Amino acid sequence: MNQTRRIAALTAVVLFGALLATACGGSNDDDGNGSENGDGTAPEYLGAVIAPPPSMPEAILLDENGEEFDLQEETDGYVTLLYVGYTHCPDICPTHLHEIDVALRQLDEDVASKVKVIMATADPERDTPEQLKQYLDSFNESFVGLTGPRELMDQFQVALGLQPATRTDIGNGNYTVNHAAYVMAFTPDDRLAHLVYPSGMGMREWLNDLPLLVEKGYDPE
Amino acid sequence: MKRFRARFGLMLALVAVLAIPLAVACGGDDDDDDGGDPTPTEMADGDAVTVGDLTITGGWVRTTTNDVSAAYMMVKNDGLEDTLVAAASPISPMVQLHEVITEGSSSKMQQKEGGFTVPAQGMVELKPGGYHIMLMNLTEPLEEGDEVEVTVTFEKAGEVTLTLPVQKAEGTSMDMDSGHGGMGSETPTMGGN
Repeated sequence: MNQTRRIAALTAVVLFGALLATACGGSNDDDGNGSENGDGTAPEYLGAVIAPPPSMPEAILLDENGEEFDLQEETDGYVTLLYVGYTHCPDICPTHLHEIDVALRQLDEDVASKVKVIMATADPERDTPEQLKQYLDSFNESFVGLTGPRELMDQFQVALGLQPATRTDIGNGNYTVNHAAYVMAFTPDDRLAHLVYPSGMGMREWLNDLPLLVEKGYDPE
Repeated sequence: MKRFRARFGLMLALVAVLAIPLAVACGGDDDDDDGGDPTPTEMADGDAVTVGDLTITGGWVRTTTNDVSAAYMMVKNDGLEDTLVAAASPISPMVQLHEVITEGSSSKMQQKEGGFTVPAQGMVELKPGGYHIMLMNLTEPLEEGDEVEVTVTFEKAGEVTLTLPVQKAEGTSMDMDSGHGGMGSETPTMGGN
């Protein structure tokens, strides 16, 4: 392991920790940042609010069938759950995908059919359309996988407000990929992701938020 | 490959990059409402494997369509502090102890230096989004219903081999909300040492 990298990582963790500490009151009912309803009841959305919300990028990428996928066009009219992950990810990615799948199966068909789930790869060198298809089909055959040249996938992540994925070499030709820490939920009316769902959020959040997002988009007031 | 085209709102993206760590940090509302009850009381005694003062329960390995997977379990300690220092499996020539770290909008897995500490009279849980045993260069894909042998080595208690079921997931939120429901009766069992 590379010493400089470790120090850099540590610094980043510390910095992020500081951000967390400054940004959060720790309590869940008096943050006064607009997450309450107009009538003073508890927040109805369980996802994490991001501001300003990233907008759905205009991009044409390659889908899991090897076809061109025009992101704006294909997600028109849907609540889009967009996640940047990779198939050789054994931990967070499959947890998100599995929980989304289970939630969609539990929700009413008229809600579930209005949700599009997309995993764009942070590891385009390994994630060919075939790899993506095989992987995503093991969760839900309707899940879309997107890939493209590294440079484009990096730009795509930046456009989403993410740090472009980097690799961590873990020996014997293996590497892990540092990727998006959350699933983003784009609403159909404004094409913005007001809410994101980091690791640790899952079934409970999807079952609560997806019907709301389908019915009225993001409208907390 | 066909042509690709992309036009991104770079200014917006830049603003978003700066804003996201703050926003994300504050959104989750009640992650700690499981009442500080980490004791795996819902595990039947029959599911447990003991080695020295340690009791291991709730182990499982994730299904995969490629050559990478992860193993999870809970280790409870009735004695002095110990450390899970190594793991091995016949299905993987390369096994590492990993942790997940989130920095801003990015998550990464990396080797956990020194292994996983099991506090005295406490417990450590290997679970999605936290610690896991990373199994790489698998010789074959893992399907639901398969079983995988994983040998874990502790600094003080020594080593023990577990036979773990292959499952699609034990979702983190289900874990939080309703305990360990569907662990299967054969989880884990003592193997050769």
